Amino acid sequence: MAVQTLKRIDEFRIGIPDTWVPGMRVPGVIYLDAVLGEGLEERAIKQVANVATLPGIVKASLAMPDIHMGYGFAIGGVAAFGQQDGVISPGGVGYDINCGVRLLKSNLKAGTVAPRLRELLGVLYDEVPSGVGSKGKLRLDREELEKVMALGARWAVSKGMGSLADLERTESGGSMEGADPSLVSMKARERGHSQIGSLGSGNHFLEIQKVDEIYDEQAAAKLGLFQGQVTVMIHTGSRGFGHQVCTDFLEVMEQAVKKYGIILPDRELACAPMNSREARDYLGAMRAAANYAWANRHAIMHWTREAFMRVMGMGPKDLGMEMVYDVAHNVAKMEDHMVDGRMMKLAVHRKGATRAFPPGHPELPGIYKETGQPVLVPGDMGRASFVLLGTQRAMEETWGSTCHGAGRVLSRHEALRRARGRSIYRELEDRGIIVMSAGKQTLAEEMPEAYKDISNVVDVVQGAGLSTKVARLLPMGVVKG
Amino acid sequence: MNYEMLDISGDAGIRAAGASLREAFEAAATGMYSLITDLGGVREDRIVQVSAGSESPEGLLVGFLNELVFHFDAYGFIGKRVEIKQMEMENNGRGSLKADVYGEEFDPGRHSRGLLIKAATYHGLAVEKKDGLWSLDVIFDT
Repeated sequence: MAVQTLKRIDEFRIGIPDTWVPGMRVPGVIYLDAVLGEGLEERAIKQVANVATLPGIVKASLAMPDIHMGYGFAIGGVAAFGQQDGVISPGGVGYDINCGVRLLKSNLKAGTVAPRLRELLGVLYDEVPSGVGSKGKLRLDREELEKVMALGARWAVSKGMGSLADLERTESGGSMEGADPSLVSMKARERGHSQIGSLGSGNHFLEIQKVDEIYDEQAAAKLGLFQGQVTVMIHTGSRGFGHQVCTDFLEVMEQAVKKYGIILPDRELACAPMNSREARDYLGAMRAAANYAWANRHAIMHWTREAFMRVMGMGPKDLGMEMVYDVAHNVAKMEDHMVDGRMMKLAVHRKGATRAFPPGHPELPGIYKETGQPVLVPGDMGRASFVLLGTQRAMEETWGSTCHGAGRVLSRHEALRRARGRSIYRELEDRGIIVMSAGKQTLAEEMPEAYKDISNVVDVVQGAGLSTKVARLLPMGVVKG
Repeated sequence: MNYEMLDISGDAGIRAAGASLREAFEAAATGMYSLITDLGGVREDRIVQVSAGSESPEGLLVGFLNELVFHFDAYGFIGKRVEIKQMEMENNGRGSLKADVYGEEFDPGRHSRGLLIKAATYHGLAVEKKDGLWSLDVIFDT
C-alpha cells in the first residue's frame, strides 16, 4: 500500500485526502497548528476519515484542535448531512447528550470572594452532588420527568428556579423543539429520576473563577465581563438519562444499518437515513435528553446562586449573578447553512464541538445579535477557561462550530501513574486553586498535565478565524466529581 | 477472577479471560465493577437478576454489561460476584443469557469511588477464542 501523507493546508489546517480510507465521499480537515499537530493520534485521523464515508456528508469531515480519539466519531468532530440523502448517527453526538457549559457572571471582585472561598465550595459541594453513585437533591415523579423532557430549562424556571432572562441566554432557549418523551425508554427514565441537579464525574465540574485577562474590551463590556470579576462555570450534561438514550439507540441503529444496507468502517458509526423512522425516533429522544441536560445545568445554577447569597450574605441584585451563556457541545441539530450559494437544511453533528454563530445570526438573542454568540471553552482545573465569540468564517467553514475544551493527552492510567506519590490537591493549592473532589482517583486522572494546554487550542481557532478571544478565566475553586 | 484493566487514551477498558465464554463474561462483569469501586469493600447482601440477548456474541457482551450499568446508575446496585445461570449461543451468532449478581447498595460513605461508567461501547470490542481460552476486550465510556 502506498504511504499516504496528510496535507498541511495552512498554519492552522491539515487536510486528509479522500483516499485515506476506502469509500470516503469528501475529504477531511483538522484544525491544528504545528505544536498541537505533534500530538495528533493516528486513530483519531482515521476516525475523521471514517466519518467522511457516511452517506450524505456535505463538504468535509471536520475536527477541531481539541481532537482526540472517541467512539466512532473523534472527539472534536463536526459533520453535516443533507436532508435528502444524509444520515443521523448517535455516535456523532456521543453518550453524554448535550454535555455543555454554562457561565455566570457577578458583581463580585475576586478579592471579595477569596476569604469565603472555602466556605462557598463547601456549601456548593453539599448542594450539588457529584461523583460516582451520587444522586441529585430532587426526586422527580413520572409527571415531572415528562415535563423536564419536553421543556428542558423552561421546566426549571416554572419551578421557580432562575428567570426567563436566563432562557434567553441559553442555546435553543434551553428547550429544544421536537423532543418526544414517548420515545424515551423506561430504563432512561429510571436513570433520570434522581439525577437532576447533579454534576456526575470525569471531566465535569463546577468552578468559581476570576476574569484574569480581557482580549477584547468592547465585546467583554457587552457580555458584562471585567478584569478581576468572579464568574462561575458549570460543566455537565444529561447524566445517566442521556447515556441510556444513546445506549438504547445504538442498538436500534445496529439493526437499521442492516435494514438499509449501509456499509460502515466502524460499528460505532451506526446510523440511519435521515427520513427513516429510526432517525426520527432517535432525534425525538435525543432532544428529550438535551432538554434534561438544560434542566440539570439550570437547577445547578439555581443552587449555586442560593449558595452565594447565603455565604456572601447578599441579595440577588447586589450579587448580579446573571448568565453570560449556556452552550451544548454534544448534540445534533437541524440548521440552515449555505452550500455552494444555496441555503440548505442540514443535520449538523457536533461531538465535542461548540456552536459558534456569527453576529447577526437569526438564532441569536437580541443582546448578542451584534457581538455574535458567546462560546464557552472550559480548560483543565489548573490552567484556564476561555470566552470566545462566533464568527462568519466559522459559519462558512465549519457549519458555525469551534472547539469545546482542552482535549486529553494522557490516558487515565498514565495520569494515575504520574500522580503516584504526589498530592494533586496540594499542588493545585500551591497555585492558589482549592479543589473539592468526591473521588481522589478522579482528581489524579483529571490533573492539568493530563490535558492539552487550552491556550494552544484557543489560539488555533482564533488563528483559523473560527472564533475570537474575549476573556480568559482562571480557576479559584473547583468542585469535581 | 481473570481480568485486567486496558489502558487507552481517555477511557478505561477490561480484558477478561475464561475457559468458557460464560466464565469470561463473568470475569468481564466483575472487572467492570472493579473499575467503579474497590470490590474488597462490597458485601453480598442482595441478588439482582439480569438478562440480555443479542444477534452476536459481541452485542451480547455489550448488552449484558450495559444492563449492569443500568442497575448501578438507576438503583445504586453494585455487584461483587456474577453467576451466569443460563447461556445459549446459536450457530448463527444469536445469544442470550440470564445471570444472578450478588452485591449491595452503593454507599459513597463506605465504598471507594472509582470511575463513573456511562456505558460499555462497541469500540475495540473483541470476543475471541485463542488456544482454548476465551478472551474479551471491552471499552467503557467514562
